[in-house]
Amino acid sequence: MKERIHKDVVIIGAGMAGLTAALYCGRMNLDTLVLENGLIGGQIANATDIENYPGFVSVRGGDLISTIQTQAENFGAVIDEFDEIEKVSLKTSPKIIETQERIYEADVVIIASGMNRRKLPLPEEKKFSGRGVHYCELCDGHAYDGKIIAVAGGGNAAVDAANFLTKYAKKLYLIHRSELRADDFSQKRLRANEKVTIMLQTDIKALRGDKRLEEVEVFDKKSGETKTLSIDGIFVNIGVEPNTQLFKDELTLTASGRIPAGEDCKTEIAGVFAAGDVREKEIRQLTTAAADGTTAALLAEKYLSKLKETDLNG
Amino acid sequence: MVKVYSFEGCPWCDKVKRFLDARGVEYEVRDVEESEEAAKECLKISGDLAVPVTTIDGVNYVVGFDKRKIEELLATA
Ligand SMILES: Cc1cc2nc3c(=O)[nH]c(=O)nc-3n(C[C@H](O)[C@H](O)[C@H](O)COP(=O)(O)OP(=O)(O)OC[C@H]3O[C@@H](n4cnc5c(N)ncnc54)[C@H](O)[C@@H]3O)c2cc1C
Repeated sequence: MKERIHKDVVIIGAGMAGLTAALYCGRMNLDTLVLENGLIGGQIANATDIENYPGFVSVRGGDLISTIQTQAENFGAVIDEFDEIEKVSLKTSPKIIETQERIYEADVVIIASGMNRRKLPLPEEKKFSGRGVHYCELCDGHAYDGKIIAVAGGGNAAVDAANFLTKYAKKLYLIHRSELRADDFSQKRLRANEKVTIMLQTDIKALRGDKRLEEVEVFDKKSGETKTLSIDGIFVNIGVEPNTQLFKDELTLTASGRIPAGEDCKTEIAGVFAAGDVREKEIRQLTTAAADGTTAALLAEKYLSKLKETDLNG
Repeated sequence: MVKVYSFEGCPWCDKVKRFLDARGVEYEVRDVEESEEAAKECLKISGDLAVPVTTIDGVNYVVGFDKRKIEELLATA
């Protein structure tokens, strides 16, 4: 039998939005738990130079996040990065979050589950994931010292990843299905590196290899030519997708798979808030994630006070 | 003795170490970037340099952070 535990607030996700909400909830003396199933810090956990977060000229994602984590924990919020959520029931009162080890009964749930990197849409992806197909250059790049590396994608994240990986690669291909969208500075840096070949208007058609990845088949849409490249590893940076699988039976999602909620972060279910990149909105940045975390926490406290009043008055 | 093949600044390696700490498991850190010997051992165990690799006996191992698999591995100790 799993232990049942009551919490004022359960926050799902320890990225910028979730940690900011935790900091505020903790500071308001709410009994607060944050559940994280990946890396604390989310998308920003491995970012090297953040230059647009007010108050810092330049800061590493890991440093920024560990400071906010300390702030949240100092105010009493608890972060559990090991116990994974199995299912949620948000429409009940209290709301139920069942993890591998426990059942949490929460008066408020703040969904701050953000986004994950989109997987390479090929059936062989699963076979080679971790064996040549990778999604975190900082984590896995070192295993490709002196090897041939490909990077898939053409936005800032892809070009930054490619620039980072040139320190290991003896040869690096950047493969992108259209034109580069990354900023000029990063593009110039990549183009200036003689180890790098940039292949635009090129689709990745197949991955091949025995136990691990050995080759990719690519199709050049301009020339109509199909080529096979021998590579040791490919780092995929073809965009992100919202982490809302867990909630799809509980909440209506938008066409892009995000949670519809206004600036007040309130979802269609009372006491359930959506904060950060997982909320449908136009601008998705660290500052807006922090803003959502703040709003969700402060309105959660209001909701909880009302709930207690109603309970007292019967 | 549990060994964790890893390197400084590897976020998933750190998560494995925090998990072992939380469970009160003692372990030896083998840094595959600092020590060529550790890198060779890691290659021999998993056939790859992708880390973290967690092992007790050098035969059974878990790549990455997979809580259930690491728990199973620890249960064999
Ligand atoms: C490489 C890169 C560089 C960037 N650089 C900048 C920059 O310089 N400046 C800037 O302002 N923005 C930048 N951004 C955008 C910024 O990172 C995001 O807007 C911001 O991190 C969103 O925060 P979040 O908390 O909403 O979501 P996320 O950071 O996505 O965090 C969500 C967290 O929830 C966790 N989670 C998901 N599902 C579950 C579940 N079921 N159970 C438990 N936990 C779960 C995830 O593991 C993750 O840790 C960058 C993004 C990337 C990818």
